[in-house]
Amino acid sequence: MGKVWVRCLLALIGAALIASATLHAADTLPSVLISRQLSEGEHLSVGDVIRLSASEDGSNVRQFRVAGVYEPTPDPARLGAVIREVQLHLPDLLGLTREPSVPSGSEYVETINVALVDPNDAEAFSRDVRARMPGIDAQPASGAAESTGPFIVLRRFHLAIAIVTVVASTVFLLALTIMLVDERRAAVGVLRLIGLPIRRILLQLFLEGVLIAVVGSMFGLALSLVSEGIINQFFQWRYDTALVFVRVTPQVAAVCVAIAIPLGVSATVVASWALLRRNGLRLARR
Amino acid sequence: MSTTNGHVIEARNISRVFPMSAGPVTAVADVSLEIRPGDHIAIRGPSGCGKSTLLHMLGCVEPPTAGTLLFRGDDVTKLSDRQRSLLRLRQIGFVFQRFFLLPMLTAAENVELPQSEANVPKAERRQRTQELLEYVGLAARAAHRPSELSGGEMQRVAIARALANNPGLLLADEPTGELDRATGEQIASLLDRVNADGTALVIVTHDPALAERSTRILSMRDGRIESELTSA
Amino acid sequence: MNAMGFAWRSLVRQPARASLGVLGVAAVGALLFDMLLLSQGLVISMRGLLERTGFDLRVTATDALPGQGPLIPNAIERSQAIAHLPSVRSAIALRFANAVVLAGGPRGVYTTFQGVAGTGAVHPWTILRGRDFTSGRPEIVINENTAARTQLAPGSRVMLRGSCTDQAQALPPVPFIVSGIAQFPFDSPNGTTIATSLPMLATACGGNESNEADVIMVASQEGAGASAAVSDVARLLPDLHVLSNAEAVNRFERGGFTYFRQISTVLTAVTLSFAVLLITVLLTVSVNQRLGEIAALRALGFSRGRVVADVFCESVLIVGGGGLLSLPAGALLAIGLDRILKRIPGIPADVHFFVFEPSTLQIHLLLLSATAIVAALYPIRIVTRLPIAATLRDEVVG
Repeated sequence: MGKVWVRCLLALIGAALIASATLHAADTLPSVLISRQLSEGEHLSVGDVIRLSASEDGSNVRQFRVAGVYEPTPDPARLGAVIREVQLHLPDLLGLTREPSVPSGSEYVETINVALVDPNDAEAFSRDVRARMPGIDAQPASGAAESTGPFIVLRRFHLAIAIVTVVASTVFLLALTIMLVDERRAAVGVLRLIGLPIRRILLQLFLEGVLIAVVGSMFGLALSLVSEGIINQFFQWRYDTALVFVRVTPQVAAVCVAIAIPLGVSATVVASWALLRRNGLRLARR
Repeated sequence: MSTTNGHVIEARNISRVFPMSAGPVTAVADVSLEIRPGDHIAIRGPSGCGKSTLLHMLGCVEPPTAGTLLFRGDDVTKLSDRQRSLLRLRQIGFVFQRFFLLPMLTAAENVELPQSEANVPKAERRQRTQELLEYVGLAARAAHRPSELSGGEMQRVAIARALANNPGLLLADEPTGELDRATGEQIASLLDRVNADGTALVIVTHDPALAERSTRILSMRDGRIESELTSA
Repeated sequence: MNAMGFAWRSLVRQPARASLGVLGVAAVGALLFDMLLLSQGLVISMRGLLERTGFDLRVTATDALPGQGPLIPNAIERSQAIAHLPSVRSAIALRFANAVVLAGGPRGVYTTFQGVAGTGAVHPWTILRGRDFTSGRPEIVINENTAARTQLAPGSRVMLRGSCTDQAQALPPVPFIVSGIAQFPFDSPNGTTIATSLPMLATACGGNESNEADVIMVASQEGAGASAAVSDVARLLPDLHVLSNAEAVNRFERGGFTYFRQISTVLTAVTLSFAVLLITVLLTVSVNQRLGEIAALRALGFSRGRVVADVFCESVLIVGGGGLLSLPAGALLAIGLDRILKRIPGIPADVHFFVFEPSTLQIHLLLLSATAIVAALYPIRIVTRLPIAATLRDEVVG
């Protein structure tokens, strides 16, 4: 019995030593970060050891330890793609991808990202780099999105859609205001008959139009903010991304209100003017 | 449709109660009434006594909440909404205080409308429309819209419309209510003529002069028929 | 007068309101029509383009799209092996690179450079002028944009400098003769493209990798079909990835194209809601203004079904009129929107975002019909539940 216990104890100690050695070995492995999508797709988690190869035949395999899982920066250009990414330390990446015949230190990188102390210096810094290093292009990151072809085109596309929507809304608004004013034709007719001048009645209708337009615009803004959340949530779920698809900025809100209120007021005035041109007696008669 | 005693309408203890938030309101209480072919009946009473409600029940527009209402022997309360509509279309004519002519149709088209709904062939309804407009003295205004007619002319077109499908019963709710005395007199005369030609006529009116043209005058108060006067 | 005639007269009674209702429906209907065109347009267009190349399979080294993944080694032998399969009519190996054509200015013209090898006379381009290049000879075909910018024509001699890798290179220029002007199906509107044989491309790129290609394009036998060819090729070359045109389109659909489908879905929902709201409001106000007339008609014997039919017909007229107008308006709008979207860099000139199919019209009509029905529901509810006597009383009191 005693010998069995000793053998068991030795086995346990041996296992513990092996485990400890394995852990130690893993700890000495270079670390990588993996994207959330890769983690979920391959059921990987922090601490796992993975093997990476840069060639399709699986040669030149190296082991790495997963040090963390990150959320990839949302990239509109990769919408719909499942971002299976691994972030390595640059020397590790170069070591993994370098051809054996190519001496170390002769590799190149495509891009260097620079974070400035003062972001406002970006333009000047870019000019400086371009001047000092011919063959190197430096661009401020904030302007990149604005100048990228697809986004300019998409902006124009969305603007065209918005214009059509505004036209349809204007028609709708005019129809509504005509109905609204028409409902009060008898009252307007009576006011004309008792002697109120057109201008006075028009002013009242104008003020009503302003009130309705302002309240309507505020309601529209509130609706757009709610829609913003719903649309973003839907598309972020649909594409498994953190990209923001719709953003109601103060500028956008200001432009919308600046269009909506004059449109609403104009529609009321136009509808009212058409009505007020008629004879008061005809208006008052049912 | 069989007739019972030849009556057009036989109302037995009919009532109409409206449920209101402050409590039920009895507009018509326990009214019994018979309308024979050719009757000329006026229903009068103070405002809110239930005259119009009684008229609507007689016209099968509103079913009684209690009692029995027979139209040419058929129990109206047992008819479906569709059947009641058909009954009104073919056998009852309505004339309203506010005329309710369709403003986008001409006088002739307003008169043709019920006939069209009753599937009267086109030639026949054109002929009948012409006759009816001549009957009410507006043949020359057939192509005019209601906005181009006076109040009296509109009411005459409304009467022609009510007679479009040759009903046995014509119900008029304050037919002269929106007209001046002289025009009202013309309308009253026209209604007399309609009755003389065989159509039973029931008029709800505030106007004593109009009421006195009837052979039976029912006075209502608080939803009940208080008295009935019959003239020779 | 039947319900439709009655509805027409009711609408004409308020011409401004009716006209605006029809115009409103026309505007949203145009947008709706365009969104339906957009939802499948790109996919249909791309499918058509792929089919017009004459090849229905694409073989690559990995599942990356052609030109985006590693090269296929021994491409020429493999394409010949594929071409001998009974289910295959022809197969060509295609390599994508870049070149600078040293003409048309001091810096030359930067172009896409294609190299082709394999059996079969069919190349994935159409000769417009001149003739196709002859294999083994230093000849190229160029597209119209290249010809315009370099002033080259069939028979012209030209030097070009190839670039076949991502890395900066300084290869010596190589002489070629322009044999013809061709139209390349995947050219963008301003794209410049030249093509030659695969060995000649390799020569221009330094003489290495003469037997590697980005993709092997395969045309299946007419009787066999793409599926049989896919199976045969996959069995023959299990280390390669085979994609039929249909599968390629599916991939596009799941990838970047899906954005346009999603946005078309969102905008379709928005426009439909808008239309329903507009028509519902128009009809409801119209009905509310005519309650007395409707009650009178009911008192005169018009059935509930008849007054419902009148309201429904009004909805049909507004939506129908607007829907008819929306088709030409939508067609014009689609042309404009297509022009905007085709400016996205890299979109082939022959690809369109808005493509008409008869089924689009059917769906459009179906959606508008549903709009007419749904929009009429609330006003119909009003007229069906209208208390005749109470309404008549209210009209008198009012």
